[in-house]
Amino acid sequence: MLRGVFDWIDSRTGYRAALHHLLDEPLPAGTGWIFTTGSIVLFLLGVQIVSGVGLSMYYVPAPALAYDSVRYITDTLTLGWLLRGLHFWGSTFIVLAATIHLLRVFFLGSYKAPREVTWLTGVVMFLLILAFALSGYLLPWDQKAYWATTVTINIARGTPLVGEQVADVMRGGAQLGALTLGRWYTAHVFLLPAALILFVVAHITLMRRHGISGPIAPKDGPRRAFYPWHAIKDTLMMAAVFALLLVFAANFPAHLDEIANPADASYVPRPEWYFLSLFELLKYFPGPWEPVATMVIPGLVVGFLLALPFLDRGPDRHPFRGRRLLFTLAMVVLASGILVMTALGLADLPTKYDPNDWGPRAVAGHLIVSAPDNKCVTCHVTGGPAADLAATRITKDEEWLLAHMSDPVAIAPGVRTEDDPAPPAQMTRFQAQSVLAYLRRTRAGAIPPELTEDERIASVTFAGMCVGCHKIAGEGGESGPDLSRVGARRDAAAIRRIVKDPTTEFPDSLMPPFGERLTEQQLSALVNYLSARR
Amino acid sequence: MTMTDVNTTAREIGRRSFVARAIAAIHTVIGATIAFIVGGTTLAPSFTRREASWLRAGSIDALPDNQPVAVALRVMRQDGYSQVVDRTLVYLVKTGEQDVRVLQSRCTHLGCQTSYDRRAKRIVCPCHGGVFDLQGNVMEGPPPAPLPTLQARVENGEVMVQI
Repeated sequence: MLRGVFDWIDSRTGYRAALHHLLDEPLPAGTGWIFTTGSIVLFLLGVQIVSGVGLSMYYVPAPALAYDSVRYITDTLTLGWLLRGLHFWGSTFIVLAATIHLLRVFFLGSYKAPREVTWLTGVVMFLLILAFALSGYLLPWDQKAYWATTVTINIARGTPLVGEQVADVMRGGAQLGALTLGRWYTAHVFLLPAALILFVVAHITLMRRHGISGPIAPKDGPRRAFYPWHAIKDTLMMAAVFALLLVFAANFPAHLDEIANPADASYVPRPEWYFLSLFELLKYFPGPWEPVATMVIPGLVVGFLLALPFLDRGPDRHPFRGRRLLFTLAMVVLASGILVMTALGLADLPTKYDPNDWGPRAVAGHLIVSAPDNKCVTCHVTGGPAADLAATRITKDEEWLLAHMSDPVAIAPGVRTEDDPAPPAQMTRFQAQSVLAYLRRTRAGAIPPELTEDERIASVTFAGMCVGCHKIAGEGGESGPDLSRVGARRDAAAIRRIVKDPTTEFPDSLMPPFGERLTEQQLSALVNYLSARR
Repeated sequence: MTMTDVNTTAREIGRRSFVARAIAAIHTVIGATIAFIVGGTTLAPSFTRREASWLRAGSIDALPDNQPVAVALRVMRQDGYSQVVDRTLVYLVKTGEQDVRVLQSRCTHLGCQTSYDRRAKRIVCPCHGGVFDLQGNVMEGPPPAPLPTLQARVENGEVMVQI
């Protein structure tokens, strides 16, 4: 019965002949496991497409909603964390798999005539995969996304002659914002996939046209069909890679920083590992030399890859024989260079953002909103006209939020007139900034720490007096030194002397003396707190 | 063809079909896993029910006996990754010292907003003449069902309504 149905479909479509053509290609004897690398890239690409479609059902490419939609996927949606983990780790896996495939094709000399164009399409696909990874970065709209993309666009600005124009096109204007997010999203989910799929089809068609290159030294023996004899190797490798991907996705869920804060220009983004070598390279070419690291060297590398099949035209595929040794050496130098740069970059990463390290400003904010006389709960309460602070979303910019906390009834900053003056501020600007720091933390999933009375006093004091100039745990001003690890540099006695009168240690210090302005309780709490930060 | 050849060919066919089945089985497992994750995230919100919440609807002392008072309840609700404020108008009917009946105010016929007719002591719908008594029962007109009653309780003199 079922056979009859398939016979009928075959008579109308000829699918069996097509399948036969697709699957029964005879492969050279000795086509082993090493020839599964391409299938793995293709498989991972499929995983990325399917998981990406799943994510796109919830993701919104707009600044006010992007972060919250990713938060929703990560925290609320059933299995959403796993889906996002799969897509996040999938990008790492696919970059790795594509690199391995490229190296396999290189070392086995599979790019040689007549397969030059196959190699070229492969190099373009490799670049497309990197472009995917880069454009996907901005989408969560967290601090890392925002500032890493700022860096990327600044690098593009270094393009000779048309740098500013290139940057304007990448941003969709003079500032990184809603229009930037829209175009990077479109690139990530429409343009790049369309381009990549086109190249995949071309790559596979060319692979079939010229046949698989097979082992370097042709082996005697019967040519066996791709299906099932090689397909089983592909399948087992895919299963192993997929199992590993699941392990990573399940055990190291994709991270989400605090929501993007365009006002905080001090955030130093950590690039993803596959861009770390470029990031490291930048350090060796400061100032006017920057384009060497951002344009010249990457351009030379890509140029080398594209020109390879035309430079190395001898028939010998052995990597260590004759003229090929030269190219093998070049590739080894290139690969080691990237490895060394990546390792150096790893050793010198900016401090990882830790949402659970509650700096004094966030702590002060927590104390304000959990105090019994907290006025926020007039409206921000379950069943109230505004969302509970634990669930509230940060959809407005910093200035709006600070104005709202000072004058909650005003609809926007600056609307009050002389006839309608603002009532006494509900909060000082410092306090409002503290509350905002608290909201960003809780929205990023951190839980307020348990504190001693001393730590509370120190946090409030710091958030009221020191935070304008000094930074702790990523929050605060920059005119004074970062005090996140000050306890490792100075002992308690020295910190006390400096706080009371900075000129005792730094004669030229612009910092005012705080000896008179702090009570003894505040001073000792602050000194204990700072000296404990190591 | 000798007997050995036949045996070899038979073994080869056996191996081939075993390997083909292994491929199909592994791809089925991989496909099912991905389908479970992506399908799960796609379907999950469809089967998630909204959590009930208790809202404050005013003090019981302010309510007259056996006379509906319309109260607007505003509740912030999660709409996926967004938040919206829902406004619901309900009738509070004080039925005892610590007892309140809470009726929804939308007509069960076509959803028009009803109002309380003080003189007739009836809840009336302006659209098609539906009339309800203070228990929400249909007295006249086309409404197919009584006005739904909401869960309510009194806590420290405050009327709490479950939405």
